[in-house]
Amino acid sequence: MTDQKPILLVEDNELNRDMLIRRLNRAGIEVIPAEDGQQALDKMVSEQPSLVLMDMNLPVLDGWTACRRAREDDRIKHIPIIALTAHAMEADRLNALEAGCDDYATKPVDFPGLLIKIGKLT
Amino acid sequence: MSLRRRLTLALVAILSLFAVNVGTHFWGSFARSESMVAYRNSVTASQLSAEVEQLLENQRQQTLVLATLRDTTEDQLEDEELEQAISDIESIRSAIGRLGKLSIGIESQFETLANSSNSLLDGWLEFYQNYNDRDYRSDVDDPLPYLEASERLAELEQRQAFIAVQRASIIDRTIALTDRITVIGFIASIFLTATLGFFLVRYTNRSLKRLKTGTQRIGSGDLNFRIDNIDDKGELGDLANAFNDMSDKLRNAIYDVRRARDVADEANAAKSIFLANVSHELRTPLNAIIGYSEMLHDELDDTREVDRAQFQRDLDKVTLSGRQLLSLINDILDLSKIETGKMSIHCETFRPGELITQVCESLAPLLRDRNNTLQLPDFSDLPALYNDQTKFRQIFTNLMSNASKFTENGYISLSGGPVAGREGWYEFAVHDTGIGMDEEQQKKVFDAFVQADSSTSANYGGTGLGLAISREYCDLMGGSISVDSAPGEGSTFTIVLPSDPELAHADA
Repeated sequence: MTDQKPILLVEDNELNRDMLIRRLNRAGIEVIPAEDGQQALDKMVSEQPSLVLMDMNLPVLDGWTACRRAREDDRIKHIPIIALTAHAMEADRLNALEAGCDDYATKPVDFPGLLIKIGKLT
Repeated sequence: MSLRRRLTLALVAILSLFAVNVGTHFWGSFARSESMVAYRNSVTASQLSAEVEQLLENQRQQTLVLATLRDTTEDQLEDEELEQAISDIESIRSAIGRLGKLSIGIESQFETLANSSNSLLDGWLEFYQNYNDRDYRSDVDDPLPYLEASERLAELEQRQAFIAVQRASIIDRTIALTDRITVIGFIASIFLTATLGFFLVRYTNRSLKRLKTGTQRIGSGDLNFRIDNIDDKGELGDLANAFNDMSDKLRNAIYDVRRARDVADEANAAKSIFLANVSHELRTPLNAIIGYSEMLHDELDDTREVDRAQFQRDLDKVTLSGRQLLSLINDILDLSKIETGKMSIHCETFRPGELITQVCESLAPLLRDRNNTLQLPDFSDLPALYNDQTKFRQIFTNLMSNASKFTENGYISLSGGPVAGREGWYEFAVHDTGIGMDEEQQKKVFDAFVQADSSTSANYGGTGLGLAISREYCDLMGGSISVDSAPGEGSTFTIVLPSDPELAHADA
């Protein structure tokens, strides 16, 4: 995976963002950070990441809207998105998939499981 | 008209017709037998008249023969023969008397007959009594008395015959009349019975059919259906009214049940949303705790040397998240206590100014972090309150930390004083020059798990329960909380409290 393009991590909580970046780096994955939905869309276009890890509760533009817009944009609609959220109900999972996410992970993150999901989609 | 009255009326009508028939029959019998007696009298009288006529005729022949013999011969009549003749005459007289008894209604005619026959018979009697007396001169050969008597007799006879014919015709007419009345009464009874039966059945059927339709409609769930066209003030009308009453009550009951179910559903839904929110809020700090712990564990496994300072900072993050989790759980428990009505207040006397100053001192680090300036007036004039000071402190801590969190490089000012026109009521306000809220956000800001923006929790921390709890506390303390804000222009939270919760009860 090291020779792959970096992945984009969209997370507004500083603690969680730093923690995930460090853990992904340790796993050999290069990470580009973004803090809100709009930043995420902009960086998806400019950086063309191999995958997006997207928190759903985001300022400026929430994760669901960002997903929907990404799926309507020809430049970035091929980039897989994994939703990352503390909403753990079945309906929340369906909401995320409906918004155009390819997979779904619940916080607290099961890190090995997340790596497998990333591996499958890149 | 009620069913019972209809039935009674029908029965009375049929019985009346029956009574008319029976009455007619008896009247007919009575009239017939009376006429029959009269007819028989007339016939008997007629026979008796003929008999009397014959006797008179015979007696006259005998008398005339004897009168001729007496004139021409010297023969005397034996006493025996004389008595016989006299008794014959008396028997004629008694026959005429019998005739008189039968001559009902024609007494005057009989009177004339009796007069003329008596003078005739008296003449004959005189003739026989003096028969053996040679000096006696009789006038029995004079035909006039006899002719008159027989003429009167003939008249009476004729009259009797006429009466007999009349009686007979009356009998015929009576029989015909009673027959006709009987037949008409019978036919009328049948017709009346059939008609009444028909209407009764039809009317009852119609009403019952409506009741049946109503029952079916209600049964199939149409609770608004009413039986409104039964033109009956009796049993069936009562039944329809009772039915409509039942429908009303049923509808109301079902409406109540549905409303209760809706309320329960809403409460259930609210509970589910609350649970989902709790789950969400618990996961955020847990994510940091688990994530950092796992990461630190991995780093310790690493052969590379561990950066002790970095390691400590990371451990601090775990602790901080743990504390956040704890305060979140405490807040949830408090809110749950309030919602189940188990949160009570403990009143004591305290000086609000001192409490506010303490809160500000404890929050000084947070104020410094965001470079905010605090403007704290002199509260020493504020009188002591008798209320729950722990909750008062909690409310102010929440308001002050919110103001600090959502303001950067700005001002936070406090004010407090009596409410004008309301003795014993005090007003405290926390004003900031922070990010502010629009009207939509202000409406929801006191709801549980709501922060003005769903991302504010991530940016500014906090559980989203502080203002919900503050509002509940204000309620418990007898007061209220409100907000005035505009986006970018800061917010002012104002609480109004009574100096004693009893004051709020007295005002209410």
